[in-house]
Amino acid sequence: MERADGNLRSNLAERARGVGSLRDFLELLEEHGQAVRWSDRVMPEPDLRNIAVAASRDVNNAPAIIFDNIAGYPGKRTVVGVHGSWDNIALLLGQPKGTTIREMFFDIAGRWGDASAQISRVSEGQAPVHECRHEENINLYDILPVYRINEYDGGFYLAKASVASRDPLEPDDFGKQNVGIYRLQIQGPDRFSLMTIPAHDMGRQILAAEREGVPLKVAVMLGNHPGVALFAATPIGYDESEYAYASAMMGAPIRLTSSGNGIDILADSEIVIEAELVLGERVFEGPFGEFPGSYSGVRRAPVFKVTAVSHRQNPIFENIYIGRGWTEHDTLIGLHTSAPIYAQLRQTFPEVTAVNALYQHGLTGIIAVKNRMAGFAKSVALRALGTPHGLMYLKNLIMVDADIDPFDLNQVMWALSTRTRADDIIVLPNMAMVPIDPAAVTPGKGHHLIIDATSYLPPDPVGEAHLVSPPTGPEIEELGKRIRQMQRGDVR
Amino acid sequence: MTPAQCPRCGSDGSTADFRGVDDGETVWTIWRCNDCCFSWRDSEPASAIDRKLRAGEFALDISDPGRFPVVLQPSNFQK
Repeated sequence: MERADGNLRSNLAERARGVGSLRDFLELLEEHGQAVRWSDRVMPEPDLRNIAVAASRDVNNAPAIIFDNIAGYPGKRTVVGVHGSWDNIALLLGQPKGTTIREMFFDIAGRWGDASAQISRVSEGQAPVHECRHEENINLYDILPVYRINEYDGGFYLAKASVASRDPLEPDDFGKQNVGIYRLQIQGPDRFSLMTIPAHDMGRQILAAEREGVPLKVAVMLGNHPGVALFAATPIGYDESEYAYASAMMGAPIRLTSSGNGIDILADSEIVIEAELVLGERVFEGPFGEFPGSYSGVRRAPVFKVTAVSHRQNPIFENIYIGRGWTEHDTLIGLHTSAPIYAQLRQTFPEVTAVNALYQHGLTGIIAVKNRMAGFAKSVALRALGTPHGLMYLKNLIMVDADIDPFDLNQVMWALSTRTRADDIIVLPNMAMVPIDPAAVTPGKGHHLIIDATSYLPPDPVGEAHLVSPPTGPEIEELGKRIRQMQRGDVR
Repeated sequence: MTPAQCPRCGSDGSTADFRGVDDGETVWTIWRCNDCCFSWRDSEPASAIDRKLRAGEFALDISDPGRFPVVLQPSNFQK
């Protein structure tokens, strides 16, 4: 862990606010030993996958890896693992390496609604993303050093693309622009399929465009501002701009420009692919090794035709390893799955003290709550299932008391062991569920499980046994830090 | 270039989408099946692209396309 004195913290925070692009962030990561260059010649398969998997085993400290010598892709670069460890996430948030997940959770939760967006515009002629432009004879394989992410994927995927689009029915509404991460499978030199579901903003827009027979144009951004990559995956309300949200959450300005097809895009991204939905066409898509650690099936998915590609000079193609966890996907979205659920719950239940939805995009979540009365936590759990993310992702919910740190699984297991009765479990059958849940009998439909591991309270007739109360609080935390410093030899 | 057989569905109809070239020499070719949309690079490990060695559960029979779920059922637009 880096020495977290006041000067270091303020320097790190200022440095993070100054990050305006992927390149800026890679520079910051390299300064802290959190990005390495892999210049030995590698084959696209299986080398890139193997190296990415080996790195992601170190969830706390793995560096981003930049490849610049890939067989068959002379002069091209790709990077994986940019958000692949908690230390990289900490640096992005302006925190020192070694910051705990709990500290980062409360950092993010504290930023919610507490800052205003700083969006500036850059003309297309001044935007780095438009330095090089292709409008004819486009071959995505000639621009992107792609590789098969998991061995039995159905093709070559862009798995860390932020896709921007305007509402096809209200194209002038800035707030109804959607920016989301969707998996894209290359389907020939200038086509790609996009996987989504009706509940996602992109799904709604595709359905609307096809229902009304109007064009749906998209801009696929690759190698993006790391804050947008972090926050564009966060479920927020449909009318909220992800750009404004990301800027506010980062406390940093974000520069936008226009894509050639009229969509607001990040001015400093590495690559943007402009495309248009092919109305009514579906192509075979998948399988794809997804975040639950299993392959999705083969489906017939919407397809887009590429109309132009812009990129920076000597662009860096950013991709992700995703599959059986932990992977970069988990560190990329874990905290920012948890924080919105926390903020949304606290609007009705300020008794909620923390939310840990790190596990497989929230397929399992742990919520800590100050229990007001017997059974109260169960109502809080039901409210969580009504949040935008909870609706389809919160499959297993464990409710714990506020004296349990939901990020400390030993404490969670203690609560399960000592505070759960067999009839404290609720199964809500046949509800909406994310289709790629591998345990589903019918994809898209499933059971939610609530385990109430909170303590007994009146009017429950059986009170809890008297608890041991070990010392806790800031004094103990300081002592813990001192012990770790002594162990490292920082103090004697 | 002779079309390659699809490692996934066995179709003989495929298209070469791109060749990777180092120092003037082709080091691999990316192929795409015209029938099942599978894409592969001919330099990949045999376990992924040799139809005989690929795991059986990842073979694909597309003789009945209707059995594959459609993502966002397209509506019958008239415009």
